[in-house]
Amino acid sequence: MSSAFSRVTSFPVRLAIFSASLGLFFILWEVAALSTGNSLILVGPIPVLQALGALLQNHLPRGTLGIQGADAAILQTLATIVFGFGLGCVVGIPVGVIMGRWKMAETLIDPWLSAAYSIPIVILIPMLYFAIGADFFAEVFVTFLLTVFTIIVNTHNGVKYVSNALAEVGRSYGASETQFIAKIILPASLPDIISGMRIGMGRAILAAVLAEVLMSGNGLGGMMMTYQDVLNTPYMMAAVFLIALMGVAVLQLPRILERRLFKWKETESLSREIRR
Amino acid sequence: MNTTYARYITLTGTLGIFVAVWWAVATAVNNSREIVGPVQTGSAFVRLFTDPPLTRLMASGLQVTMTSILIGFALAAVVGVPIGVLMGRYLIVDLFCDPWVNIWYSIPAIAFVPLAMNWTGVSATSSVLIAFLITVFTIIINVYGGVKNISGSLIDTGRAYGATQTQVMTKVILPAALPNIMVGLRLGISRAIEGVIIAEMVFTVVGIGGLMDDAADNLQLALSGALIIVLAIISLAFAEVMKYISRRVVAWKESQAMIRE
Repeated sequence: MSSAFSRVTSFPVRLAIFSASLGLFFILWEVAALSTGNSLILVGPIPVLQALGALLQNHLPRGTLGIQGADAAILQTLATIVFGFGLGCVVGIPVGVIMGRWKMAETLIDPWLSAAYSIPIVILIPMLYFAIGADFFAEVFVTFLLTVFTIIVNTHNGVKYVSNALAEVGRSYGASETQFIAKIILPASLPDIISGMRIGMGRAILAAVLAEVLMSGNGLGGMMMTYQDVLNTPYMMAAVFLIALMGVAVLQLPRILERRLFKWKETESLSREIRR
Repeated sequence: MNTTYARYITLTGTLGIFVAVWWAVATAVNNSREIVGPVQTGSAFVRLFTDPPLTRLMASGLQVTMTSILIGFALAAVVGVPIGVLMGRYLIVDLFCDPWVNIWYSIPAIAFVPLAMNWTGVSATSSVLIAFLITVFTIIINVYGGVKNISGSLIDTGRAYGATQTQVMTKVILPAALPNIMVGLRLGISRAIEGVIIAEMVFTVVGIGGLMDDAADNLQLALSGALIIVLAIISLAFAEVMKYISRRVVAWKESQAMIRE
């Protein structure tokens, strides 16, 4: 995080150490699998990678007729994430900006945010199942619901704590409210908005997969639980791996990009981001 | 004084609006297999405490859920805080662990559910395991951030006055990182709650989450709604307790994250 730290440890050194720990992880995994010796409990990395390869080529194992192919499952999960998350941004960012700019809106919306942050929203899923069904729309709605508050809270924080110096310059040059928001508030709070979107994206994956497990039984989540039900551990773990990979890709890649894009604001926005 | 008063008014107003909208929607839909209104849910909530068999059922569910949350969270704290401190203090531990911590932190809780089912079955032990797995990395990341960002001058001062390694650790580093440790624990408890509930909803036979899911499956939506209220109250209580504790523990330095909540 600090620049001194990254100077001491060059990229090759870090890569070497990471490779060592990666190797250690696979060895430990294999040893654990061998010592369990029961494929219903744990299988080693090799069968899982084989199953993953087979899944990605759409070779499904016997006994799971009638479930989606891997490509259809992945596409469905991605679509749920994209629509739910997109809706979350479309609603969440404006609400966050409005809350940050107008005290009245903040007072009115804040109780909802505190509630949504102290109560796990996932408990609503069984009720939503009956209220709005178990189709694609319902899953998108669940994803939206689990995403939007994270985005609102982070946007709100970014907008609210735009430095006074910046705001005063804007005011003294006679910016209108629209100009003020477009030219000063939004650019200055962009790092916070983006970290909110990144964390929201992580929530969106959880929401989409959870909705699939509890609601429709389709998509990656449905696939994972189907293989769990038929005790096909390699394929189940391959599905788990895909879901985990989505989480890592979504939460870690943007973080690296963010560090490069917002070097000027790095420490501040990192310390401020609200992870959930 | 005035602002707390205003806050209570807004809170009551918000709750009122929520119940009113809920009532209106339920009345408009008028189908107890899709949505039940606040009145039925309220009476189911009362029944939870007045109907002895239901009360017993809820009490046993509550016991399982609360124990799972607390054990998972406590384990995560016991494991996570030392690892975070070590990562913040020793570069080699940092380089070795940092990628893994971030990778495991990014895995959605639901991905751990089938794995835990394989290892410890459909049981409270699995809930504990899931709660632990999704809590520990949040705690590590926050503790690590706190220890890493301690200003060097604090540590140098300690050294200059002849403090040993242990003294530097207990008298300088831990107190200075305490605000971040508390933030980690607070985020951790909410993740532990979420993890246990997710696990229980998938398992459907364990704890309050299981009861709630089961009630919904049997189309007892009012009962399910009442159990949701119970869970919401528990979550709020946990959040408030953690808030209180961290205010007491780090009264001398409210961390940024706490001020900005």
